[in-house]
Amino acid sequence: MRLKPSPTHTSRSGGCTLTGALSVTTHLRNAASVIHGPRGCAHHNFSLFHATQLDNEKVTIPDLVSSALEEGDIVFGGEAALARTLKAVCDRDVAAVFVLSTCVVATIGDDVAEVCSRDWGVPVIPVPTAGFLGGTFHDGVNNALTALSDRAEPCNKNLSVNIIGEKNLEYEVRENYTEVVRLLALLDLPVGIRFVHDLSSDEIPLLGAARLNILRDPALVPVGDHLRQRFGTPYIPSFPAGFSDTLAFISSVAASCGRDPERALEIEQSLQAGILSDFADINNAKGVFSGPVMDSGSTRAAREAADALHIRVSGDKKARSLPVQPVVGTSGVRRMLHRWRRAIHA
Amino acid sequence: MPECDNPLWPCAMTGAAACLAGFDGMSVVIHGSSGCYYYPTTLLHAPLHGTFILENEVIFGSEDRLREVIGGLAGSGNRIAVITTCVPAILGEDIQALLAEHGVLLVDSPGFAGDAEAGYAKALSRLSPQADAATEGVNIDGICLLDPFHKGNLQEIRRLLAMASIPVATVFCRDSLPKIHTAAAFTIGANGDYPGHVGKFLGGTLGPGTLQATFGELGNTFEGADIDPVLRELSQQEEEIVRVCDKYLRRFDPPSVVIFAGASYAEFIARTLVQYLDADIRFMALRNNGGPSRFPGGLVRGLNEARFCIEQHDPDLVIGSSFERSVTGGRAFIGMTPPLRGTVRLSPVPLAGINGTLFCIEQVLNACMDNSRPVS
Repeated sequence: MRLKPSPTHTSRSGGCTLTGALSVTTHLRNAASVIHGPRGCAHHNFSLFHATQLDNEKVTIPDLVSSALEEGDIVFGGEAALARTLKAVCDRDVAAVFVLSTCVVATIGDDVAEVCSRDWGVPVIPVPTAGFLGGTFHDGVNNALTALSDRAEPCNKNLSVNIIGEKNLEYEVRENYTEVVRLLALLDLPVGIRFVHDLSSDEIPLLGAARLNILRDPALVPVGDHLRQRFGTPYIPSFPAGFSDTLAFISSVAASCGRDPERALEIEQSLQAGILSDFADINNAKGVFSGPVMDSGSTRAAREAADALHIRVSGDKKARSLPVQPVVGTSGVRRMLHRWRRAIHA
Repeated sequence: MPECDNPLWPCAMTGAAACLAGFDGMSVVIHGSSGCYYYPTTLLHAPLHGTFILENEVIFGSEDRLREVIGGLAGSGNRIAVITTCVPAILGEDIQALLAEHGVLLVDSPGFAGDAEAGYAKALSRLSPQADAATEGVNIDGICLLDPFHKGNLQEIRRLLAMASIPVATVFCRDSLPKIHTAAAFTIGANGDYPGHVGKFLGGTLGPGTLQATFGELGNTFEGADIDPVLRELSQQEEEIVRVCDKYLRRFDPPSVVIFAGASYAEFIARTLVQYLDADIRFMALRNNGGPSRFPGGLVRGLNEARFCIEQHDPDLVIGSSFERSVTGGRAFIGMTPPLRGTVRLSPVPLAGINGTLFCIEQVLNACMDNSRPVS
């Protein structure tokens, strides 16, 4: 029996805009996210975010409020339920309220924008979502980042570099951020704001101050373009994946920020050589790549590491399984090699 | 106040999936988007299928997509059940004819129709379970994949029935599909929040008093049954419970407790803690509507409400899910309600039967003692 059958077409597994948008809005401190739809939609997402935070040893509880639509609201319209919910939420001490719609609301045709445009006393920010009817998880992320970025105004530039669109539901989100900060430090570049990861609303005005934005992955390019248009900030389209990509990343960041990359590149190349030396014991091993997520960047990074260690990678499903994970930077490759060593020596 | 902060309980669609996915020989299809599919899949750890419908199928109709998915499953020999999620249910597309053509069971259980228990009950009723006078033994109901104790409960109840030489008939809902139509004429229950309503109900299995009464009924009902071994073990273990609780009470005051759980488990835990520890049950914060109880309680549906409830009643011990664990504020805590995230659980632990009460008591005593120990 197949346990978790994949959908026939990958485009069908794009997830829900609501979850994507919430992965952004729940990381703005002192803000509430109203989910306009049945209670179950909010529960699904709350449960997911709560579990993710437990995995990341965090105990901050996302502030999700459901308008709790029931059968009667579906028949007669849910705008009154949304207004009632917004009244209750805006009466609290919150800096902003995001409103996210579900596919149910998109189907019954509530005028969410009109309800949000009323005077609530605090900023009420509708984020274009409509569950799966509004696109995919990535669209939800992008729409939320774009909606939030419009709260900031152009300002004077400083020397900092912003991190844009971290994958807040990613198990290794903290480690990936730390790796990028390490690489920026090699070029003496400070991090500006993490847009949006555990962000204070006071920090939003600083969004336009950075001289460079680094996007988490290329799916955020529309956000990068929006920020470039709005604040004149150039961007690097992705965190680096793998050894050579990390070196290219250092060079690109240095070029954008007017830094000389030579010393940083030497340090990084030395680190990478040391890692390959540490894993000399798995030289010439054999295996097959495996993993739930094998995007082109991760596969390329894995292939590069395998080639450097003369590991023969075949398509033979009976060979040792070498897990491929979405690696970031040089440290990400090192962690993946530890998993390979465990698999090869198992 | 209908709006709800951080809702604590799954929807009817998830409950329906929990019921149907418990039957071997059933292929369960969630008719909706990938977002609706992922949640029950991660929660139930059961094989589920999805139609993963897209926007154009909402506009132009999802019949072709449904036919494609059903066609892919048709060769498995399994009965197929389709659960509708919110959007297909609102659109009211007439898929009944298509499904009937393929002998597919349709369960209309969208999320807005209620909570998990409602969906579970709806799905079970759509399966039309039937008792058959020719079937020997007793059914077990209240075994629901949503319940983190369902595996342990089933093992424990099977063990006790085997000790009493009473065969197990159909397990609702963890059995092979054909057995749903050949259930026995008598049933005992594990978790009362998920009743099967099949056959004559002889009683539950939560707590020594209930267990003794239920096995008494079983002994009266089944001629060949020998319930003495069960009653002997029950008596021995109850003595042990009394001994450890008495020892605890020599050093500590009885715990004050707030319980966040479904009504059935909440009532069991409250009764058990009062009986053996003279505990002060300050509030039963229920996930669903229960029957009358001598303990104070009410529905608590959101996390802010839960936090307020804990602050208001200021208990020594909180029993609940990983949600409540986040807001216990340093109080002793035990996880007995789903979801139980952030902790590794591998062994099938029961709450039902003799071992279930032992587990409950040991958890409470250990949590309370751990919380009383000075930090070195």
